[in-house]
Amino acid sequence: MRWAPEAVVVFAASSLTNVLDAAARAYERSTGVTLLVNVGASNSQARQIIDGAPADVFCSADEAQMDVVERAGKIAPGTRLVLAFNHLVVVVPKERARRLSAIAELLDPSVRRIAVGDPAAVPVGVYTRQYLERAGLWARIQPRLVPTLNVRAALSAVEAGNADAAFVYATDAPLASRVAVAFEVPADQMPAIVYPAAVATGGRNADGGRRLLAFLEREPGRAIFVSFGFGVPT
Amino acid sequence: MITLQIDLVQDGFTLRIDQRVDGRVVAIVGPSGSGKTTVLEAIAGLRTPRAGRIAIGDRTLFSSADGIDLPARDRRVGYVPQDALLFPHMSVRRNILYGAAPGNRPPVETVLALLEIEALGDRPVAGLSGGERQRIAVARALMSAPSLLLLDEPLASVDVPLRRRIVPALERVRDELQVPMIYVTHDRAEAAAIADWTLALDAGRVVASGEIDTQ
Amino acid sequence: MTGAAWQITAFTLAVALVATMLMLPIGVWLAWLLARRRFPGRALVDTLVSLPLVMPPVATGLILLKILGRRGPIGSLLARSGIDIVFTWKAVVIAMMVMGLPLLVRTARTGFEQVSRRYEDIAETLGATPSRVFFTISLPLAFRSIVAGALLAFSRAIGEFGATIMVAGAIPGRTRTLAVAIFTMTEAGDDHQAMVLLAIAVAIGFAAVIFTNRLIRHDHAAN
Repeated sequence: MRWAPEAVVVFAASSLTNVLDAAARAYERSTGVTLLVNVGASNSQARQIIDGAPADVFCSADEAQMDVVERAGKIAPGTRLVLAFNHLVVVVPKERARRLSAIAELLDPSVRRIAVGDPAAVPVGVYTRQYLERAGLWARIQPRLVPTLNVRAALSAVEAGNADAAFVYATDAPLASRVAVAFEVPADQMPAIVYPAAVATGGRNADGGRRLLAFLEREPGRAIFVSFGFGVPT
Repeated sequence: MITLQIDLVQDGFTLRIDQRVDGRVVAIVGPSGSGKTTVLEAIAGLRTPRAGRIAIGDRTLFSSADGIDLPARDRRVGYVPQDALLFPHMSVRRNILYGAAPGNRPPVETVLALLEIEALGDRPVAGLSGGERQRIAVARALMSAPSLLLLDEPLASVDVPLRRRIVPALERVRDELQVPMIYVTHDRAEAAAIADWTLALDAGRVVASGEIDTQ
Repeated sequence: MTGAAWQITAFTLAVALVATMLMLPIGVWLAWLLARRRFPGRALVDTLVSLPLVMPPVATGLILLKILGRRGPIGSLLARSGIDIVFTWKAVVIAMMVMGLPLLVRTARTGFEQVSRRYEDIAETLGATPSRVFFTISLPLAFRSIVAGALLAFSRAIGEFGATIMVAGAIPGRTRTLAVAIFTMTEAGDDHQAMVLLAIAVAIGFAAVIFTNRLIRHDHAAN
């Protein structure tokens, strides 16, 4: 009697939902191993892992949250690596599609509400704040911000027309049909958006986690990330 | 002259009477469950017969044939229920004056004197004796200037020694205010003492009706 | 207590109070209707009123978001007049009202049902119109139940989270209630602030229970 290979539990950032979904299918086809992917804001997941959630792999949307988990001793030493890169964009509802020539145009009175993951902790929000602080616009834009629980919620808010604009990842924008990209944040004006990943020690299948990370950081895993618009380490 | 043609069904109980009664005080006697209270409720407008006619003199309160069904508030029928049912959140005075109709009604002092309750004034309703409650309830009904007063077993919740005060009070009301009354009781002697016409009910039917003979 | 904690507490108490005040006329009227009147669609009204009690609050919040959002049937009408509901304090009030109303209606309805119809009947024979019967007899006699229901709804409003976060978000200074703030601060790793707000929430809860018990005890003493 053959035992089915044990599943691998993955805690991943919301922005990785679609790419990991595709990767999971590819992984299962080639190894027969099922991935159980739990997505959410990385700060939320970091806290859950520290509190003992049984993750085998943690894919965070920024270094800061991975650092938090590493400092708490919940990362298997030597397993941390960089999976992918991303960029920040501003999206608007499709019926009001336009291109901003400068980010300061968000100060226009017609832009009453800008949705973004909570700048206090959600990675996309933290990146946005770092960018706007460098641009000297943070204090003036902050009153219009509607903090959401994660990046996908910000995207939904614009899609539903309840927000006039949102800061999301470049990889998220194509997923919503009723939004349009209005501005691409230049990469040189903000810190790099990096997705670190590592094996977490609270799960039951650390070996499965190691094998998954190996798959993701080499071909064909890399190709899947690229196909969804992510950058990958050279 | 009061016309009582009532065909009423309620919870498996059928009341069917067809009477014309006349008198200053009409007594309805019968054992409990015979429908006495139901008759009063029908007259007051708190229950609706499925057919019939209820009239006081030539004023029709209910007529299924003519599609008349006056709401209780327009019938000018005073109802004194068996347990007085004074409004618990109001004082005696507010209870008595609740339905006080402007103009055509007896003066408050007269009613209070007739029923010997002048002293009760602003007291709360809690803590009053059964007899006091009963008399206040009568006063309350009288202050709405009714053209007919309905009394449901007025002595039932009153201690025997105190009953002797209520009957004379009602007689004074009958004589001095000239308000016709329908008096419900299960006690024939009680009925005979005050009424001049009796309807005897049993199981929802009239078994006897007529003027009281003085025996 | 920091400035932010004060602001969050004051805001939460204020919107909960507004929500409770607005709920009262609607809730009392519905309670009386359901207690005293037969009408076509009565079962439907009863079900609709009770629905937020049995549905997950986030589901209720999602429904509110769809209706009141800028593209929703009501939200779009209001947006044309320049009125925004979602992500504003108005959405917080509405979420609190929707979640609290079932509690108010159920408690008040029991209160009305316990008022003997016979009192109302007597009042009618004394010439009172239905409106007078309601205001002078039914309402005063059901008063304690109505107050208890309002307290219940107010407490529910203070603790409201799921529907609120759906339809009003968690905008600091604008729509962040006590419950929502505890959540977002924990999420952000600001455990200290979260604990401060937790203590406030517990204190409010204690006060509500003590006040309600006083009300009940006073009731018993009066009897």
